[in-house]
Amino acid sequence: MAKTLFEKIWDSHVVKEGNGRSLLYVDRHLVHEVTSPQAFDGLRMNKRKVRRTDLTFATMDHNVPTSNRSLPILDQTSATQIKALERNCKEFGIELFDINSPNQGIVHVIGPELGITLPGTTIVCGDSHTSTHGAFGALAFGIGTSDVEHVLATQCIWMEKPKTFEIRVEGKRKNPHAITAKDIILSIIRRIGTAGGTGTIFEYRGETISELSMEQRMTICNMSIEGGARAGLVAPDEKTFDYLKGRRYVPKNYDKLVEYWRENLKTDNNARFDKSFTLHADTIAPQVSWGTNPAMTIDVTGKVPFPEEYAKGNPEEEKAATKALQYMGLKSGTLITDIELDRVFIGSCTNSRLEDLTEAAKIVKGNKVSSKIRAMIVPGSQHVKKQSEELGLDRIFKDAGFEWRESGCSMCLGMNPDILSAGERCASTSNRNFEGRQGSGGRTHLVSPVMAAAAAIRGHFVDVRELDLN
Amino acid sequence: MKGSVIKYERDNIDTDVILPGPYLKIHDYNELAKHAMEGIDKDFHKKVKPGDFLVAGKNFGCGSSREHAPIALSYSGVKAVLALSFARIFYRNAVDGAFLLPIEIEENAYKDISEGDQLEIEISKNEIRNMTKNATYKIKPFPELIGKIIAAGGLFNYKP
Repeated sequence: MAKTLFEKIWDSHVVKEGNGRSLLYVDRHLVHEVTSPQAFDGLRMNKRKVRRTDLTFATMDHNVPTSNRSLPILDQTSATQIKALERNCKEFGIELFDINSPNQGIVHVIGPELGITLPGTTIVCGDSHTSTHGAFGALAFGIGTSDVEHVLATQCIWMEKPKTFEIRVEGKRKNPHAITAKDIILSIIRRIGTAGGTGTIFEYRGETISELSMEQRMTICNMSIEGGARAGLVAPDEKTFDYLKGRRYVPKNYDKLVEYWRENLKTDNNARFDKSFTLHADTIAPQVSWGTNPAMTIDVTGKVPFPEEYAKGNPEEEKAATKALQYMGLKSGTLITDIELDRVFIGSCTNSRLEDLTEAAKIVKGNKVSSKIRAMIVPGSQHVKKQSEELGLDRIFKDAGFEWRESGCSMCLGMNPDILSAGERCASTSNRNFEGRQGSGGRTHLVSPVMAAAAAIRGHFVDVRELDLN
Repeated sequence: MKGSVIKYERDNIDTDVILPGPYLKIHDYNELAKHAMEGIDKDFHKKVKPGDFLVAGKNFGCGSSREHAPIALSYSGVKAVLALSFARIFYRNAVDGAFLLPIEIEENAYKDISEGDQLEIEISKNEIRNMTKNATYKIKPFPELIGKIIAAGGLFNYKP
């Protein structure tokens, strides 16, 4: 029978079936400081061990300050959580990339970077953006702390088999430097809605997706969860195999594996998806979110919508839009390019990789950050930071007035010192514009790295298609 | 199971408002509970009583995988969330830890139930009775395994 890529990975990982559920084997378990302490407590309490320490990797990213690493962590609760992870990894024998490790970084940046992420594998982590790793053709999804404990103890997880959802992006983008992977995924979420993919796994397909680099595919898969799907996949291809070759944790028989992946890890020609959605790349403009969920997004050439216009007759949506505009302090009818900003954040597991920073630097080079704006660049990992510095990107950003910081989740989620103050408006390359996400009362506009960079220079949003990006 | 209703008439109540990021560092569940729903209702911890039910719209619990969200609600006394639909990770976390019952309700129940209504939930009958309004609503039955995990008191107590 013809199968989708998802079904092939699923079938090869089922340990046991029953009660309409499956027990799946987990190939890689990534652990961080925030969602793991209670799981380790549980193991200790029940005198259990970590079943496969060789398949479990840990880092610290959510809490860590992105300022000078030689200083002690001032926030005591963060320091406690970070110390707890150190202690737990030592006690249970798990490899940890700690705050001083050259491999430290956001868990979804370092997984691929170190070659821990591999095609055809199952990957879990106590973080919803685990979907990022799907860019390599891995079935990767976020889990809660009870499941973290369960996987630590058993290396398995029970699941109901999700449905399949094909997302096709066809054709060529008119200006690939201006119309980025971020604009593609925001355009998709805007159309299918934040619950559009509930109970499904996305497979991103089509000409546009094939043309994307690995880092761009990661940006797309990263935000699958924002469309309601726990995971998103891209079938691996030569770009995938080239990206991973020679990385630190790839298996010794890599070339043999590539042969197998090349042959097997694709959706069969006549396989059927439960749902399908198609987007044409030539219709996509740079995107800016105006509301308080990622579906509340519009073209940069547009205006802040009127709630009734956004809701298209749905009273619940109209109410939500009214509330969102109130929270965001925006007036319907305002041109998106007239929205003035206080902060700019380039970073997060969505957009903090070398390509993101390289593209942003092209815009920044020779310019100055607007005097009204505080702007920061937070590389996704120590490796990204080092590579950027070797290319001189840090100089470009610093000369323009950006802060150049240490790697971590930073201002994506308001749980470390990098936060917005109430009422502050931020152009952010992160993934969620929920109320209070970047700090209580903070106002987030989701954009691509180039859009964020241009906004930092001008002090308001700009259509980056008008700039010379080549 | 009887309790009174706290209602938020909105869709997409995300995990960042159920338990805002800064509190993810808190290890003590009773401390977490003090910040439940703080993102949209600063007074929630004052008004919630043990045994209460939360009623909300579509896609409840969307966003992050933080189990802290159902934990905070559970330790603040909430026994069940009645929503039009749930985001998957929240639903799963609620069940795995047996923190609260995630119950999918129909549109008519969502419209009919008001803040302060007294409800009785009868899982075995897939039914909610509204004692204040003298009405009965159907609920979607729990899938077999989920029912068993909940009955066992969570994933770790469940013996297949």
